[in-house]
Amino acid sequence: MTDVVLRVNGRERKASVPPETTLLQLLREHLGLTGSKLGCDVGDCGACTVIVDGKAVNSCLMLAGQVDGREVLTIEGLATRDRLHPIQRAFEERASLQCGFCGPGSIMSAKALLDENLDPTPQEIRDALAGNLCRCTGYTKMIEAIQDAARELRTEKSARTAP
Amino acid sequence: MKGFEFVSAKDARHAVALMAEYGPKAKILAGGTDLLVDLKSVPEAPPAVIDITRAADMKEIKVTDRGLVIGALATHGEIMSSPEIRDRYPALVDAAHSIGAIQTRSLGTLGGNLVTAVPSLDSGPALVALEARVTIAGAGGSREMPLIEFFVGPRRTALKAGELLVDVVIPKKNLGKPAGFQKFGLRKGQALALVNSAASFWLDPAKKVFVDPCIALGAVAPTVIRAPKAEAYLAGKKVTPEAMAEAGRIAAGEAKPISDFRASADYRRDLIAVLTKRSLEGALAVAERNQKESRK
Ligand SMILES: Cc1cc2nc3c(=O)[nH]c(=O)nc-3n(C[C@H](O)[C@H](O)[C@H](O)COP(=O)(O)OP(=O)(O)OC[C@H]3O[C@@H](n4cnc5c(N)ncnc54)[C@H](O)[C@@H]3O)c2cc1C
Ligand code: FES
Ligand code: FES
Repeated sequence: MTDVVLRVNGRERKASVPPETTLLQLLREHLGLTGSKLGCDVGDCGACTVIVDGKAVNSCLMLAGQVDGREVLTIEGLATRDRLHPIQRAFEERASLQCGFCGPGSIMSAKALLDENLDPTPQEIRDALAGNLCRCTGYTKMIEAIQDAARELRTEKSARTAP
Repeated sequence: MKGFEFVSAKDARHAVALMAEYGPKAKILAGGTDLLVDLKSVPEAPPAVIDITRAADMKEIKVTDRGLVIGALATHGEIMSSPEIRDRYPALVDAAHSIGAIQTRSLGTLGGNLVTAVPSLDSGPALVALEARVTIAGAGGSREMPLIEFFVGPRRTALKAGELLVDVVIPKKNLGKPAGFQKFGLRKGQALALVNSAASFWLDPAKKVFVDPCIALGAVAPTVIRAPKAEAYLAGKKVTPEAMAEAGRIAAGEAKPISDFRASADYRRDLIAVLTKRSLEGALAVAERNQKESRK
């Protein structure tokens, strides 16, 4: 068994899992976080996207042992009890998703992008979503939502830093 | 996946020691974007998976007296954002950017790409066009060789059992050598190259001729190849659009592309001509930018 201690969505979590357990399985089957989805299991679809130490990754392509001691953010870590994250709200307001299966992954890719760049160009947004396959929507409304969310996050930031 | 033992290496030395301990069937795990995909489909698991992602000594990107050293564990994302690389080699940034998508680039490493050694590997051509060398460590010490010789066949490299790829070095003589990279896939993201190509040359500032031109092609032969006839044609010639286009046509005749479900051999040959020309134009743009900056 592989013993891991990591921070997930700001909380310390411990688990003892078979060594071949992927990060996605660790999250879904051992920690009860089923927001991240299993699509292809080989890195193509992005439904399993989570953020590890600030970077968007395919959680189906990491082993649990590799995240020992690391910081993982999943879709469950975005909203608080009374408030959706601005990216989630923008996805809702723009009706950016249909079946929703790709949503957790796409939103985490958007989060990783906006954490690094609060004013992305449409091309940069497309590049950030290139690893998230959506079979329903055609992406246009996701791109608009990410632009909305970026605008809102910029406003929040300047309100915070204003004297 | 079938069960295996998971062990983590502290640094390159430790990884080599673990490989000796667990034997030739144990697998090195870097970004896992090739290895985990494989392990999910093989009938038999390796006895151990040796995780090297914590070997910080294999991650560094720095200029030393050997040249520009890129640790095998540097991810494609880290290559794209490295100041040492960004300013000198836009071709390496373009090559890294062309790989998969952000999620694969934040995991996948240069070393993993080179060791997997598929004919279409996107980090091959630009490094070959810059005459990169690789450092390999084993229980008996370390050795070095040109990257082009490291590729032995499709999915085959010169690594022997128990050996680790430690770093890739662009030799000092090519520090800052202008280079261009081009990839053509069926889509921009998440697509393997039908053809990829890279070119490098020094631009003689007075005579405006090609000095030391170097052309590398991927996905058109079992391994990355050079195009020696096209290189010989360019050497000493005036830099003109016609010369670059002609070099592309010559290069197309030097490769042996195959027909498969992605593209026919004829189509690939046309691509070689166009992409070689564009790689040369890319290198020229860098050369002109460098000369403008050095005049400032
Ligand atoms: C969705 C997707 C898209 C992709 N798109 C592209 C693409 O566009 N272009 C492209 O070229 N590739 C692509 N790839 C392939 C892959 O991402 C790259 O080859 C990547 O660089 C592999 O690196 P890694 O660190 O993930 O390797 P790993 O999977 O960790 O390792 C690969 C192999 O190399 C061995 N290995 C790794 N590092 C070392 C070392 N230092 N010494 C000795 N052996 C070592 C491993 O044992 C294993 O056999 C894609 C993969 C996926 C899943
Ligand atoms: S489930 Fe991980 S990329 Fe598809
Ligand atoms: S909304 Fe259905 S896959 Fe994206």
